[in-house]
Amino acid sequence: MPGFSGGGIGGGVGGPASAPPRPFRPSRYVPVSAATFFLVGSTTLFFCFTCPWLSEYFSSVIPIYNAVVFIFTLANFCMATFMDPGVFPRAEEDEDKEDDFRAPLYKTVEIKGIQVRMKWCSTCRFYRPPRCSHCSVCDNCVEDFDHHCPWVNNCIGRRNYRYFFLFLLSLTTHIMDVFGFGLVYVLHHRQRLDTPHAAVTMAVMCVAGLFFVPVAGLTGFHIVLVARGRTTNEQVTGKFRGGVNPFTNGCFRNISNVLCRSQAPRYVGRWRSPQSVEIQTPFLRPALTEAQLEAKVLDNGIQNDRHSSKSSLDQNESQSADAEPPPPPKPELRYAGLPRADTEESSLLTEAPPTPSMYKYRPAFNSPGRNHTGHTHPNKSSRQPSYRSEPSSLDGVTVVGGGIGVRRGGGERGEGPGGPGGPGYSLTGRSYTSYPSSLVLSTGGSHTSSLRSAHTAHNPLATLHSEGTTDTSYKSLANQTPRNGSLSYDSLLTPSESPEFESAAHELSPQKLTPLQGYMSPFLSAQIAQQREGQLLQGSATFSSPHRAYLRAVSPPPPETQHLLQHNQDPSTRGPRNPSSSSSSPGARSLEPPVSPPPRGLSLSKSQAHRVGAGGGQQTNAFCVNSRFPISISLSILHFNLLFTHNPPPPHFPPLPYDCPTRFTSRPVSTNHATSKPGGGVKKVTGVGGTTYEISV
Amino acid sequence: SPQQIICLHLTLSPFHNLQELRHSASLANKVFIQRDYSEGTTCKFQTKFPIELESRIERTLFEDTVKTLNNFYAEAEKIGGQSYLEGCLACTTAYLIFLCIETRYEKVLKKIANYIQEQNEKIYAPRGLVITDPIERGMRVIEISIYEDRGSCGSSSGSSSVSGSTAR
Repeated sequence: MPGFSGGGIGGGVGGPASAPPRPFRPSRYVPVSAATFFLVGSTTLFFCFTCPWLSEYFSSVIPIYNAVVFIFTLANFCMATFMDPGVFPRAEEDEDKEDDFRAPLYKTVEIKGIQVRMKWCSTCRFYRPPRCSHCSVCDNCVEDFDHHCPWVNNCIGRRNYRYFFLFLLSLTTHIMDVFGFGLVYVLHHRQRLDTPHAAVTMAVMCVAGLFFVPVAGLTGFHIVLVARGRTTNEQVTGKFRGGVNPFTNGCFRNISNVLCRSQAPRYVGRWRSPQSVEIQTPFLRPALTEAQLEAKVLDNGIQNDRHSSKSSLDQNESQSADAEPPPPPKPELRYAGLPRADTEESSLLTEAPPTPSMYKYRPAFNSPGRNHTGHTHPNKSSRQPSYRSEPSSLDGVTVVGGGIGVRRGGGERGEGPGGPGGPGYSLTGRSYTSYPSSLVLSTGGSHTSSLRSAHTAHNPLATLHSEGTTDTSYKSLANQTPRNGSLSYDSLLTPSESPEFESAAHELSPQKLTPLQGYMSPFLSAQIAQQREGQLLQGSATFSSPHRAYLRAVSPPPPETQHLLQHNQDPSTRGPRNPSSSSSSPGARSLEPPVSPPPRGLSLSKSQAHRVGAGGGQQTNAFCVNSRFPISISLSILHFNLLFTHNPPPPHFPPLPYDCPTRFTSRPVSTNHATSKPGGGVKKVTGVGGTTYEISV
Repeated sequence: SPQQIICLHLTLSPFHNLQELRHSASLANKVFIQRDYSEGTTCKFQTKFPIELESRIERTLFEDTVKTLNNFYAEAEKIGGQSYLEGCLACTTAYLIFLCIETRYEKVLKKIANYIQEQNEKIYAPRGLVITDPIERGMRVIEISIYEDRGSCGSSSGSSSVSGSTAR
């Protein structure tokens, strides 16, 4: 990590280390030693015992030719052995602070129209570029990883594949030459085979013949690979079996890529020139147009989240031809993400960073075409510290609530006091706290990734990523909708499932305390409002305890209900109450016939309610009746209760909490138009924002 | 306003120390421009303008930089006469030629390093940004460090030393 001496940057000799020093394992050197021994030894014997006669008998071109081939073979062998195959240096800690333990294991990228997965490498701390793979023997990620060759004791990758390929070709040629000329010698000395020369020649021929079969086989295999533009890794793992290879450019181009491309540079161990750049305040700032400012004030992060949620859905749909097992399904991933955070930390402290599986979650990532969405989210979450640290340091700009737009919108119109600036520039010299830098650089101090993950694991939960957490938890919630709905139904039938749900809800809840003050997406607000109405309804149902009728919200509340949510500290741990009913069109006002209740429904709901109520006690404070409850509302609720019948709950409806008997919120019913039409079998009541409730009489 | 007064004081002071000013900039954030793999594994970076830089630099400047870098890398990886000649020469000399001459890629990398240095000095550092050569990150990302100035024109959250001493 280059030292940041007060804004200047100094370079240093050598780059970041690629791998920690590994224990010396002599067994690794056996194959390469054997290969070297046989190659050099056999050829030397050939030159000493066979070639003199050949040069005399035929011409001296033969030894020269053999020498050239041998030197070429040896040179390629040395290059393949000693050349860096294209090792990626470990990512710096700053780079993956976004890809923390909640980032997904895979990232999808589109290459020539084909979806390719990039896997997160927990050792190297980045998403492996396409065709890159981590070699367990060398403990490095290698670019264009072909295979790890024991005979050269090195990985074969982008930089040295050409030499390996040429080594195979030249070795096959050399073996054929040695065998062929040895055969000529032996055939000419049939009657004098007892001489040492003949014996040696025959021994050399045996060795050559022995090695010829595997080497020629391997050579043929790689000729096919080169022609098809595949690596050994891809061929062996069957990545493109029956599929299309996005990395091929046609046979001729593939071959010329291998043989004629300029030597790729090494990434590790580079000499970095000490070029320094001086950073001097004040900084130039670009002038923002009015439209830009307005857009930023209104944007409020909705754009980003919409893209992020969209791209997260797209990631579900994309199928790569990877032979690896598919990533874990999304809902479980997010669902179990947070409870497992602790296990991730503890395991990291004790062992090398494991491949994060379930809890490696990131909501937004996708092809480069959509990568802006993929990266707005991590950029946004990485941006959080900077705006969090400057809550009120901006003037003039009416910043959006919650402050997502703060950083972007603020400060640009600050005027330098007579500062020169170019046209359209303003020297602001505004100061921002270095809170995020302290976070970032302090993590740099701890060199072990385990410590770093433990260190940052708390921060995201507490402060730094709470906005990001909002989004992740929001997205997790948003996409959990059907699952939670089904869970709550299942919990009615099988109470054993609910504790799991509650414990996850507990984990989810602490992080969602803060973010609701700011931006609330329409979708989430709709869920929350539904949930709150559900709470209201169930609260009102308990008001008259013997009856357990449930009101069903026919229409989902529109986004205007987000004002409700600012008072609600913990909205959506239970998920939406009635996803299936909300599927009906908002305009539907149809009468629905009462359904006969399942016989067990009530008893289960009673026990269920108790458990859920106990678990949700801390969360449902906002749902308790306010003493300042308007009388008109309570009257209207009474009115509702009188009309309750013994109707069965819709399957997805939550059970009744018994701890707080009047556990409902005033909000949905507060302002209104409790327009109840006394009539036939169904009563219709409109809540706030047009939500309609139908009560079966 | 008091803030303006503080700023005036700083800029008019003849003894303002470059050292102090330099130390007043601190690393705030880092943006990583990812690779664009839509055309394969050839080295190309995304030209999408990151959100964090919206208030720091003009979009066109940034895109120009990235596009120029992409062109450089395309030139380095081009398979043409020079690379072919280099390969043949290397084969005939048993790769000893690599000890003597610089490969085409390395030459372009030097050009890239100079270009980045020049861009940093002329365009990015005055805006409090620093581009790190992607080769240092394995050519996976272009790392742009965002600096913030602290301790100058004071705000409520500014460095206390500056604002405190000049607020009176």
